[in-house]
Amino acid sequence: MKIRRILIANRGEIAVRIIKTAHKMNIETVAVKTAAEPNAMFLSQADMVYDNTEDISEIPVFLNIDKLIEIALKTKSDAVHPGYGFLAENAYFAQKCIDNKIAFIGPSPDAIYKMGNKTIARKIALAAGIPMAMGSEGNISNEEEAVSIAEKIGYPVIIKAASGGGGRGMRIVRKPEEMEKMFIIASKEAEKAFNDPSVFIEKYIENPKHIEFQILGDTKGNIIHLGERECSIQRKHQKLLEEAPSGALNDKLRKTMGNIAVQIAGAVKYYSAGTVEFLLDSEKNFYFMEMNTRIQVEHPVTEIITGIDLIEQQIRIAMGETIRYRQEDIKLKGWAIECRINAEDVQAGFAPDPGKIEKISLPSDHYVRIDTGVQAGSVIVPSYDSMIAKLIVKGKDRRDALKNCKMALDKVWIKGTKTTLPFFRMLIRNPKFIEGDFTTAFIEKDLEKYYQSSEYEEMLAAWLATKLFVEENLLDKSINIDFENGKEMSPWLLNKRINQF
Amino acid sequence: MSTNKQGIKKLYALSSENKRFCFPQPLKHSIRIGKRDYEVKLKADDKYGTYILWKNRKYPVEVVRSRQNKYEILFNDISYTFTVETPFSMQRMKVLSAARGKIDKETLKAPMPGKIIDVLVREGSSVLRGEPLVILEAMKMQNEIQSPVNGQIVRVLAKPDSNVMKDDILVEIKVE
Repeated sequence: MKIRRILIANRGEIAVRIIKTAHKMNIETVAVKTAAEPNAMFLSQADMVYDNTEDISEIPVFLNIDKLIEIALKTKSDAVHPGYGFLAENAYFAQKCIDNKIAFIGPSPDAIYKMGNKTIARKIALAAGIPMAMGSEGNISNEEEAVSIAEKIGYPVIIKAASGGGGRGMRIVRKPEEMEKMFIIASKEAEKAFNDPSVFIEKYIENPKHIEFQILGDTKGNIIHLGERECSIQRKHQKLLEEAPSGALNDKLRKTMGNIAVQIAGAVKYYSAGTVEFLLDSEKNFYFMEMNTRIQVEHPVTEIITGIDLIEQQIRIAMGETIRYRQEDIKLKGWAIECRINAEDVQAGFAPDPGKIEKISLPSDHYVRIDTGVQAGSVIVPSYDSMIAKLIVKGKDRRDALKNCKMALDKVWIKGTKTTLPFFRMLIRNPKFIEGDFTTAFIEKDLEKYYQSSEYEEMLAAWLATKLFVEENLLDKSINIDFENGKEMSPWLLNKRINQF
Repeated sequence: MSTNKQGIKKLYALSSENKRFCFPQPLKHSIRIGKRDYEVKLKADDKYGTYILWKNRKYPVEVVRSRQNKYEILFNDISYTFTVETPFSMQRMKVLSAARGKIDKETLKAPMPGKIIDVLVREGSSVLRGEPLVILEAMKMQNEIQSPVNGQIVRVLAKPDSNVMKDDILVEIKVE
């Protein structure tokens, strides 16, 4: 089956990313214009734009299954790419596409359903003899049951949402006294986020590394892995920096874990791109955590070290093609690091800082790849995620990649919102991070400060504050024009964001 | 060129962490490091907006907020808050703060705009540092707002299901 036109059921940088590969493959793309972001960058890159700005429904169109199917049919799209988030892991949406003879660029509805429900996924993995953390057999219905299971497997335990993902509906419990409160919070959060309050319990693995394997499978039953990604740098289960490969794995462990990842994918007859997530403890024991049945935000680091375009593979597999690579063809070359530059205030505990991107300038060196859906004038709206750009840097090894990353970070220039840049500038100078000595607890436990600031930078800021004070209070303003340096200006005239109270 | 009306010889910029930066008046467009003066320039152009040029490097700067002598400066994506004091106001401040004594009340503010999901304490509750007090939902994430201190709750302003703005006071705690 040939795909000629893809409806992109997504927005932002991933929409831009999909369009790029589709164009390389001579496939047309359809993007959806929404009232929330009528000037978004991805719209200008698609071949067709479906105008959905009149839609005033509270549900974003990217979550509206019937509407998306209607748009796909109206625009004569023969395939839908869901990207990540939104409906990417919604089995019903995948089935609806198939029912309407639209190719769903992703795995089968059955695989999405089974892996999406964590308790079912646990059962499948258990039956396949996959190493896993001890836990409840299925969902648990109340805190008494939770306490009794926790007593059996030992504290600390983690409560997880059965339909969960992305860190929502997860709570760590260290003492029986905390169980009731945490159970209620996790369950409430799960219901709100996933429309399903069911939760289960697992032994909490202290200070693990988050290691995930990229899987590719086709509809003929071939499954391979493309190596691992190290995603331990996360905060509240939200990944901030990912790299590939991981310094924690040697070839032998990579092979063992990779084979098990392939085995898990095989258990649900997986096709398309997917990710098998593991926790790796300090003794190098690993535990299956979950499988993500979509393209991941951090997929570029794998693309860089394997040279394989994962979106292209997804599209080819959706067209029924056989994967051209055998496992032995996959060679990992070099090192890649991705920094997620988000509109967040690192100094306020990574609180979202939505707003207009007034200026943006991103490096274009040969060792840099930028995936972004944002340009100067774009608005980071509160209703969507806070991603501004992914800065992906490569090097011949980790040290080289880190050196390049440090240079690239200093070249990123964003004005208008606060960003996670100061965090990365600090992180890549942190000795433990440089040594590879970090776990998922790194940000919460090992860092005293979340941002990089030199003494001189603070002094310069102090100088500016003093200059403002002088101009406002002490100077006779009529003579405050420096004709010699005509370009130098008073910041009072320049700053639109200033709020005087 | 700069006629200093009050005859002030120096100004102090005090950071929120009480670091003191002293700048002789009239303010020079250079900063001394060791024995050398390095020129500081405040500039602006279409591509970069406002920036400070120092030692051949551009740093993005913005004035986020100003109120009387208090300035919040965004410098290289990091915000710093300073109060600028004259030698006279500095002296007055010292006297005042000595008279006031130690601050014993902590106000817990919303770190981001969002919706209050749950309030876990009531007036009179004793709380420990790190104990969750309020559950605030922002950008689809539920966040536990934890007590920064050991103490007793004196006032609860957060109400479940209500929306709050950034910096709205949620809870007041008497420090113990």
